[in-house]
Amino acid sequence: MLERHSALANVAPYRSAVLQLAEARGFSLVQAAVFSKDAEKEISNITGKLPAKIGTALEAGGCTLMRVGPRQFWFVGAEGDGLADKLTGVCAVTPLSHSRTRIFLEGAPARDVLAKGIALDFHESAFKPGMFAMTGLHHTPLLVHCLSRHRFELYALRTFAVTVWDWLTDAALEFAG
Amino acid sequence: MTAFRRLPSGGRIDRAAPVNFTLDGRRRNGFAGDTLASALLAANATLVGRSFMYHRPRGFLAAGIEEPNGLFTLGEGGETEPNIPGTMVDVVEGLAAKSQNAWPSLGFDLMAVNSLAAPLFQAGFYYKTFMGPTKGAWMFYEPFIRRAAGLGKGSYERDPARYETVHEFCDVLVVGSGPAGLAAALTAGRSGARVVLAEQDSLFGGSLLSEHDEANEAWRTSALVELKALKNVRLRPRTTAQGLYDGNLAVLVERREHLKPDPRKGEARQIAILLRARTIVLAAGALERPLVFSNNDRPGVMLASAVRTYLDRFGVAPEKRAVIVTNNDTAYETGFDLAKAGIAVTIADHRATIAPELLGRAAGLGMAIFPATGVADVEGAKSLARVRLAGAHAAAVECDVLAMSGGWSPVVHLSSHGGIKPRYDGKIAGFVPGGFAPTHFGAGAMLGTFGLAAAVAEGREAGRRAAAMAGFDKKVKDVAAPDIAGGRAYSILPAWAPPATGKGKAFVDFQTDVTVKDIATAHQEGYQSVEHLKRYTTLGMGTDQGKTSNINAIALMAGHRDLPLASAGTTTFRPPYSPVAMGAIAGRGIDRHFRPTRLPPLHDWHKANGATFIEAGPWLRAWYYAWAGNSPETAYVKEMELVRKGVGLADVSTLGKIDVQGPDAAELLNRVYVNGFAKLAVGKARYGVMLNDDGVVLDDGTTTRLADDHYYMTTTTAQAGEVMSWLEYLLETQWTDLKVHVVSLTDEWAGMAISGPKSREALQLAFPGADVSNENLPYMGCLDILHDGVRVRLLRLSFSGELAYEIHLPADYAISLWEHVLKAAAPLGIKPYGLEALASLRIEKGHVAGLELDHRNTLDDLGLGRMAGKDKPYVGRELRFREKLQAEDRWSLVGIELLEPDKKLRGGAILFAAGDEIKGHGRGYITSVTWSTELGKFIALGLYRGGLKHEGAEIVCAYPLKNEQARARIVSPHFIDREGARLHA
Repeated sequence: MLERHSALANVAPYRSAVLQLAEARGFSLVQAAVFSKDAEKEISNITGKLPAKIGTALEAGGCTLMRVGPRQFWFVGAEGDGLADKLTGVCAVTPLSHSRTRIFLEGAPARDVLAKGIALDFHESAFKPGMFAMTGLHHTPLLVHCLSRHRFELYALRTFAVTVWDWLTDAALEFAG
Repeated sequence: MTAFRRLPSGGRIDRAAPVNFTLDGRRRNGFAGDTLASALLAANATLVGRSFMYHRPRGFLAAGIEEPNGLFTLGEGGETEPNIPGTMVDVVEGLAAKSQNAWPSLGFDLMAVNSLAAPLFQAGFYYKTFMGPTKGAWMFYEPFIRRAAGLGKGSYERDPARYETVHEFCDVLVVGSGPAGLAAALTAGRSGARVVLAEQDSLFGGSLLSEHDEANEAWRTSALVELKALKNVRLRPRTTAQGLYDGNLAVLVERREHLKPDPRKGEARQIAILLRARTIVLAAGALERPLVFSNNDRPGVMLASAVRTYLDRFGVAPEKRAVIVTNNDTAYETGFDLAKAGIAVTIADHRATIAPELLGRAAGLGMAIFPATGVADVEGAKSLARVRLAGAHAAAVECDVLAMSGGWSPVVHLSSHGGIKPRYDGKIAGFVPGGFAPTHFGAGAMLGTFGLAAAVAEGREAGRRAAAMAGFDKKVKDVAAPDIAGGRAYSILPAWAPPATGKGKAFVDFQTDVTVKDIATAHQEGYQSVEHLKRYTTLGMGTDQGKTSNINAIALMAGHRDLPLASAGTTTFRPPYSPVAMGAIAGRGIDRHFRPTRLPPLHDWHKANGATFIEAGPWLRAWYYAWAGNSPETAYVKEMELVRKGVGLADVSTLGKIDVQGPDAAELLNRVYVNGFAKLAVGKARYGVMLNDDGVVLDDGTTTRLADDHYYMTTTTAQAGEVMSWLEYLLETQWTDLKVHVVSLTDEWAGMAISGPKSREALQLAFPGADVSNENLPYMGCLDILHDGVRVRLLRLSFSGELAYEIHLPADYAISLWEHVLKAAAPLGIKPYGLEALASLRIEKGHVAGLELDHRNTLDDLGLGRMAGKDKPYVGRELRFREKLQAEDRWSLVGIELLEPDKKLRGGAILFAAGDEIKGHGRGYITSVTWSTELGKFIALGLYRGGLKHEGAEIVCAYPLKNEQARARIVSPHFIDREGARLHA
């Protein structure tokens, strides 16, 4: 039986009284890309909704829907949700569940940790729950999704996940313990 | 005689909190709130440094960031930080400071002998003296000169402190927290804008900190209380705005040494703040400048504003008597405060006419005022004995301190960083900003506005405009100015040149020891522009960057040239405003965070199973495995033999992988590859080569057709990112009509190569349900199967030249499948092989890789010209046929075999024809080299002028770094299995 092995399987855990920092496993990520507005409608019929703008995620049927390009979407759902199969034939479908390692930060210092490495405005008035940004951390691409005032999920490239983890735990060192 | 004391009361120090520190190992005392400078001055330590070149005794000139003399080395070992002005260091318990540039001691410095040789050390001294007699003379002299002249010394030890970088954003950045800055921050803050107030000092208030007017203090305090209460305002003390850049990026550096940060707890010593502000208010104030006269550098000669700061902020006063020499009004405030503290004050004023109000207040405090009088000379060496006045009231006056004021220079650094030159303003005899970027505003003394009420008004207006521009234009309550007396206009009589009567050195730049005479010499020798003056005399080149000296020098040179000062110009202001620790620039980009490391999905297995790793670009790859040996030299040979004779398994997950989908996918590939892909059958792979639009080879790889409109592309490891970007660029900008989407799958899919004559057998053992026969999975075939419910792609490709396959699957399953293959094929002796063997096997086969695909070679150079489609267009086709790219003598791919068995071939060796003189760039070089297990000798790939036209010719491979030469022969690059029988087995 083939078993999954996370990129972060062997990293040292981070412990803090004020900040949680850990991998958030068990998700399905599908990239859908279209060539027409009609295809967007068809997708919408399957997913329930489809965001019009880049930068703000929608939630529908347990799935997080993000427009990540003018004609590209990311759908993040539960592991094995079968969405890729449902979309096949409607648009260009690329399963990417293994390509990203999802890390979450939760706690009051979360925004401060992110600000150490990402040139984005993480002020509460600027980066609000539901918003996401495609950016970079430590020279690698990263998608940051704000789930609530103090919780963020980061989608790091799997092959850079350990380096991103190292960077995050180092940046969060002042809050550890 | 220079003498200072701590007053029994007053100042902003906490007398209930004594602090111990050391200077040159000797224990000293101060109070919380003291700077190193104020604590030393309170202990009457007036000799604190030796000058850069002449080793003249020096005391503190200033009380702020402009201090040129009182530089110290702080910390021990790796924490050593030299050249820190004592005026900017908070004394904290345990602080260890060392004086600089004196041996054996500050009081008795042997290098002061330099002063006797002063006539030699004139402007351009080094240039004139050490350029001969030979070309290399300077290299010989330089270390001695650097040792003798000088500043403090850094450490080569590792700095254990932690430095961080942080990104911040705000609507309005206010630089400086004097009256103008506070008013700006308050106004902007009240509007609801997000405000950052950056102040380099430990306290907010700027000039208000150096006085003791109760109304002003009440205003400052209430402003701070309100600012602290505003949630949209962030106060940043000890934070210097070091530079302004395009896009309103301000680089601030915050110092936290006073907190004794513990790096093990993640506490940073300094933080570089990359602040992006919508608008910026510059309220950076002004710096007082010295007057130039004979021996104006003696300890005890200080800026008048500094004397006032030490008195009012730190409770440190001259013992009994002070002389003030000035050409403007502001120094009178120092006199008034000194007189109120019981110090006898004499003021020598260059001006004949003095405002009656000043005269009246001075008379009321018993001060002696000498109009139309200046300083001719200062007597005393290590301290001030007496001041000789010249002019209307020529007299010798004994005193403890000589406070001087030559006027004020607005801090125009930040407004100039973007390239706006300052302009001369005759009203204040100083340079003011020549303008502002559209989103920048100025206020207060930095505009040349001297006076509290005016500064507050300007700050208020700048804050309002800045906030409005940032989108916060609601009307807010005006910030009230403090209730102050007066309203007198600032008055100054410029005084640049020293009186002719003094005989000693008259210093213009205290830190680099540049005198009035040096400027005259520079003028005489033709170094007349301010930029030339700077470089010829070193004026303004110290760690203080001429904060107190520039304008005096410019004015003196303008005088020599008979130019109005406005035409003389200034030198260029560049970041940083003050010295920045290298650590703060590096931040956490050190050690393993210097650059990111990329790990393939199989990394954890490699690590747990005896792999030795090697960096390959960002990747950390398995180089070789312990089963094969403990050194790369022996291990890779065994691993090669495993593949040639049995079966091996290698991690090839680093290959670039790209999903290409859409109705025009075939068209896209047909255009980017030189060979055709439109007719490739579904289920088949093809080797392809891409050119860039210069007609030079960009990359190669295999691409498999999964469906009519769906391809799976692989690229080399090195060019994966570049190819992906290239495809996206073409689709988004050049061929927007093509309906194709590309997505990187490099992270999604892992890859492993199973290679060797027994690889089919191994594959069958691993996937017993799949038909991997030659018929069902022929060379360049593709088979997608399900294994334990997981989609697995089998590709029959070979990099090694053997019968071989690649297994691709979703990355998280890679380790599990890898272990399964090793276990299933164990009866065949399968083992892992690493990058060294992988790369060596391909050399034997003659496959080009990253070392050959270096963006300089053409298809023909690499022997791939015949692949290109003759009738179809493809990127790079036209330019590929440029004359120079088709020249017959181009460096082209060859194989090389060593003829001398006792020698080695080395990568990078320069190739010469037999008989050539071994000199210069030769006729080519070796790109890749390996020991060939099949041939039992060293072989190589290389680029050689004329390429395989010289097949069979003997050459010499020279490696000058090791002084080696080896005879070799040009051969075909395909060392094994030219017919490809093994691939098709």
